[in-house]
Amino acid sequence: MSENTNFLINIRKRFGNFTLDIDCKLQEKVTTILGASGSGKTTLLNCISGTLSPDEGRIVFGNQTYFDSESKINVPPDKRHLGYIFQEGYLFPHLTVEKNIRYGQSRLQRKNRNSISQVVEILEISQLLERYPNQLSGGQRQRVAIARALAMEPQLLLMDEPLASLDGGLKSRIIPYLHHIKNNFEIPIIYVTHAIIEAMALADEAFLLDDGKITASGEPNQILASPSALPIAHLTGVENIYSLPVASSDQQRGITELEIGKQHLVIPYIDVEIGKSVPVAIRAEDIIISLEPNLPISARNILEGIVDEVEDQTMLSILVEGHSFLVKITHEARQQLEISKGKNVYCVIKANAINLLWQDS
Amino acid sequence: MRITSAEVAALLLSIKVSLFSLVVMLPPGLLVGWLLAKREFRGKSILNTFVMLPLVLPPVVSGYLLLLLLGKNGPIGRLLSNVFNIEVIFTPFAVVIAISVISFPLLVQGIMTGMSSVPSELENAARTLGASPLKVFFTITFPLAYRGVIGGIILGFSKSLGEFGATIMVAGNIPGKTQTVALAIFEAVHLGQDISAFRLVLISTVLAFISIWITERITISKNRIY
Repeated sequence: MSENTNFLINIRKRFGNFTLDIDCKLQEKVTTILGASGSGKTTLLNCISGTLSPDEGRIVFGNQTYFDSESKINVPPDKRHLGYIFQEGYLFPHLTVEKNIRYGQSRLQRKNRNSISQVVEILEISQLLERYPNQLSGGQRQRVAIARALAMEPQLLLMDEPLASLDGGLKSRIIPYLHHIKNNFEIPIIYVTHAIIEAMALADEAFLLDDGKITASGEPNQILASPSALPIAHLTGVENIYSLPVASSDQQRGITELEIGKQHLVIPYIDVEIGKSVPVAIRAEDIIISLEPNLPISARNILEGIVDEVEDQTMLSILVEGHSFLVKITHEARQQLEISKGKNVYCVIKANAINLLWQDS
Repeated sequence: MRITSAEVAALLLSIKVSLFSLVVMLPPGLLVGWLLAKREFRGKSILNTFVMLPLVLPPVVSGYLLLLLLGKNGPIGRLLSNVFNIEVIFTPFAVVIAISVISFPLLVQGIMTGMSSVPSELENAARTLGASPLKVFFTITFPLAYRGVIGGIILGFSKSLGEFGATIMVAGNIPGKTQTVALAIFEAVHLGQDISAFRLVLISTVLAFISIWITERITISKNRIY
C-alpha cells in the first residue's frame, strides 16, 4: 500500500461460540493472513467486503470508512470497490468467460474492447473468452475468477484461498500469475490461506489468525523466527520450521547446504547467496530416527541429536544443535529403539522432504 | 358435430382470464418468491402460510371466503361499490380474482424453488463486483432461476385454466360472461350433453399438453450450456 493508504480493521463478530475479534493495521502491498480452517479467515474477508456486517467496530481504508458501528456507517458491498477472489471461483454459470470478466466493469469500460486485454494477457485466457464456466478446467476457472476481480479495477484485492481447490501441480502453475499481479498492478492484496508455503510466497507482511484473534504479525521471516512459529506450524500441518543460513551452494551437484550449528542440512539447490538465511519446513512424519550414523541410504541428511522430550507416545522432540525437531514415530518403533529422554539419536531426512518456505526475489 | 359458439366463448374466456391473471400475478409472484427464497425477516412463516393456504383449502372454501370479502356486504365489496361504483361478484373480473388466488401458491412455489437453487455466494460475488441488489436480481438470480420460474408459470397457468370450485362461488356460471371451460364441462355433463363435454375435455387436454411441451422446449434450449 502506498504511504498514505492504511487499512484499519477493528471489528468484532460473534457466531454462537465463535468470536472474531480483530484489531490490526495493514500497511504493506501484500498482506497474508494465515490460519487454520475455522480460525475466522473467510468471516474476516466477508466483513471487509461488506457481504457480512460485523457486530461492532470500524473498517477504514485510506480516507474511506466502510464500516463504523458508532456512526452507523455500513457501505454496501457494491460501493466498496474491492475485488474478491473466492476459493471456489463462483463464476456465473450462465455467462461466457468474457461476460463474466466484464460483469464488474463500468459502462464506459465495457464499451472499450481493450479494457480487459491486460488481464486477459497476463492470465493467458484469451483462448477461453467464448466458453462457459463448465467448459473450463479448475485452473482455468480460477484464472478467470482472478481476471474478473481485476477487470473491475478494484482499489484492493481480497483473495480467499484462491489455490485451495486446485491440486498440487495446478497450484504451482497459478502462483506465477499471482506474482505477475503483485508486480504489474498497483493494487494492495489481502491474501488469506491455511497453506504456509503459499502464504510466504507472496507476502510482504503476515498475520497469524488463531480462533478469531490475531496472535502474531510481522515480516514473513520474522514470524517464522518468532516463538509463534510453532503454533503456525502446528496450525498449518508443518511441525518444523527453521531459518538457517546458507553455507554452500552447488548448482552442478544440485544441492545447497544450510548451517545448523556445526552440522549441515542438505536441501535441493536454490540460488541464494552464501550467508543469507532461508526459512525451511520439515513435516514431523518425514523424519526417520536411527540409532546409527553410518547408514547405506539415499537420504542426504543424518543429523546427530539428543531426545529432549517424549511429548506423547508417538511425538518426539529431538534437540539438534539447539534446534528442536519434532518427529512422529510409531509406538512400536519407539519401544524397539528404546527411545527415552536423553538418548543419543540420529535424524534421517531426505533433501527433497525439506521445503523452502519463501525466497526473496 | 361442429363446435358451438358457447364452447368457443368458454374456451376464449378461460384463456383470456388465465393470461390476464398471469400477467397481473407474475410481478407479485416474483417478489414474494424472492422474499421467501432469499430473505430473512419477521413474519416470513406467516407470509408463507398465507400464500400457500389456498393450496390446502378446498377451492370452494377459498371461493366462499372471497365471496364474503368481495360481496355487497363484504369489506372490500362495499368499498368498491361505494367508492368506485364497481360490482365484482358474478363478473369476468371475479373469475380473474378467483383463479389468481388459487393459482398464486403454485406460481410462487415454482419461483421459490428456482430462486432457492441459486447459490447466495454467486449473488454475493455479484455484489462485490459492484452490482446493486436490483442488478443482481435481474442478471444473476432471475436468469439462473429460469427453470423454476417457467415451471411455476406453467403450473399456475394450467391451474387457472382448469379452476372450478372458487370460480363458481364468486363468478357463478353465466354462459358467455363467466363460464370458463371447466364450468362449461360441468354444465354439459349436468345436462347430459356428452358430446359437448367430450369436445371440451379434449380441448383442455390438448391445451395442457401444448403448454407443458412448450415449457420443456424453452427450458431445454435455454439451459443447454449450463
